[in-house]
Amino acid sequence: MLIGKILGTVAAGKGYKVTFAPTYGQEKRGGRTSCQIVISDSMDSPVISEADVILVMDEKSLDDFENSVKKGAYLVVNSSMIKKEVQRQDINVIKAPMNDIAEDMSNPKSANIVALGTVLKLIDSVSYDEISRHLEDTFKGSAVEANKEALQLGYDFVKVK
Amino acid sequence: MGEKIFIQGNVALAESAIRCGCKYYFGYPITPASEILEYYAAKMPEENGVFIQAETEVSASNMVAGVAATGKRAMMATSGPGISLGAEAISYMCSAQLPAVLVNVMRPGPGDGDIVACQGDYFQAVKGAGHGDYNNIVLAPYSVQEMVDFAPLAFELADKYRNPVLILSDGGLAKVMESAELPDRTTPDSNFDWALTGARNRKANVITTCAKSPKQWEGYNLILQEKFAEMKDAEQRWESYETEDAGLIIVAFGITARIAFSAVRIARENNMKVGMIRPITLWPFPEKAFKGNEDKYFLVSELNAGQMVEDVKLSVNDKRKVSFYGRLGGMTPTPKELYNEICNLYEKHMTCTNV
Repeated sequence: MLIGKILGTVAAGKGYKVTFAPTYGQEKRGGRTSCQIVISDSMDSPVISEADVILVMDEKSLDDFENSVKKGAYLVVNSSMIKKEVQRQDINVIKAPMNDIAEDMSNPKSANIVALGTVLKLIDSVSYDEISRHLEDTFKGSAVEANKEALQLGYDFVKVK
Repeated sequence: MGEKIFIQGNVALAESAIRCGCKYYFGYPITPASEILEYYAAKMPEENGVFIQAETEVSASNMVAGVAATGKRAMMATSGPGISLGAEAISYMCSAQLPAVLVNVMRPGPGDGDIVACQGDYFQAVKGAGHGDYNNIVLAPYSVQEMVDFAPLAFELADKYRNPVLILSDGGLAKVMESAELPDRTTPDSNFDWALTGARNRKANVITTCAKSPKQWEGYNLILQEKFAEMKDAEQRWESYETEDAGLIIVAFGITARIAFSAVRIARENNMKVGMIRPITLWPFPEKAFKGNEDKYFLVSELNAGQMVEDVKLSVNDKRKVSFYGRLGGMTPTPKELYNEICNLYEKHMTCTNV
């Protein structure tokens, strides 16, 4: 939810038509969550038919969303928590051990920001620098630098483009 | 009007209502409407307004009626179950001719259901949740910007007709964040000659919901009916998109209209003559939007079992040309899913080589 909101806020600030649509269960804490983000030049459906990039953090999410990736587009997999193989052959799969990267920098809570870093390599509408700057507004104190480092590690891990 | 901000639908509606002078809020927490209540709870102390979390929507809606009787702007936001409980007060407000705004952020029913997007409260909203011969205007926003814009519009219409107005949102739109432009602050004119304000140096006003006799009450009912007829004629709102040359027109409101809009665009990219009518007022239903289109094919799409279909059928010449596609229980079609449904109908009814 947080990284979706960061992505949406930065893209909306640049003048794109953005919708951030979250889904979560009735649990007060825990439970599964997902969000769909549309960054467009025109007003579009907040519900996505096929995505250009899908990030899945756990195996259940892989099961649910593998088929929603557009042909030839990207599926980003958190390999720290997903041991299962991706079945589809017609998409690009990027695996990054997001929890392990976050734990290695002694900040396991920042796995989501590592994930945001990996996804940024695949998105043209917002840049790494814009997101990195925005983290200064999102976090406070020492968390700013820690999360910027997490973003960098995630971003550098992906070797495409 | 200021710059655009990236804001959640529920929060946008609450802030916009405060900016147009609604400083009285009564409610009971219910997902997916709760952010409206939370926002009011946080803001009312600094606004010198009133926020009360009532024990149920029965009392909250009657508190709204009480404030409305003094001519001040009051609001309650809830979900379908809360409207069910507040339905008695809606009927009483229509009877007493009290202007107020109610918000239903729909969730899938019946019963507890779930907390996501659904449109199953169409009948409840437009056919009357409460008892008696009454109508109330129902506005259906389809974007965060309309969540903003419809708050002041709802209060203006409520004041104009001395009748409650319902904003019918849903668990999808309520949670979506989009860019929206918020209005400047305005102070409403609440010097109504009918309001209960203390009767100093004037004759006492009377606000009542009961009859002295059937004859007198029929007379009063006829006055109400005249007002509803005037609303029906003057307040139909809709948006038409690419309908002129269309052979098939999608009819959808709220979040489904957003999905349908994208589906229609895919159809147009594939050279299919498909358009869309988006009812903005669900009551009065915008039958005027169908003028000149009465003989076309229609596909009604909603997140319910087809509740708007009968209103569409009443607005066209041949009921057999009206089809329906919907999802239930909180499921939402994707634009592609709806587009496939358009293709099926198009192949069946249109002479087209491009499909």
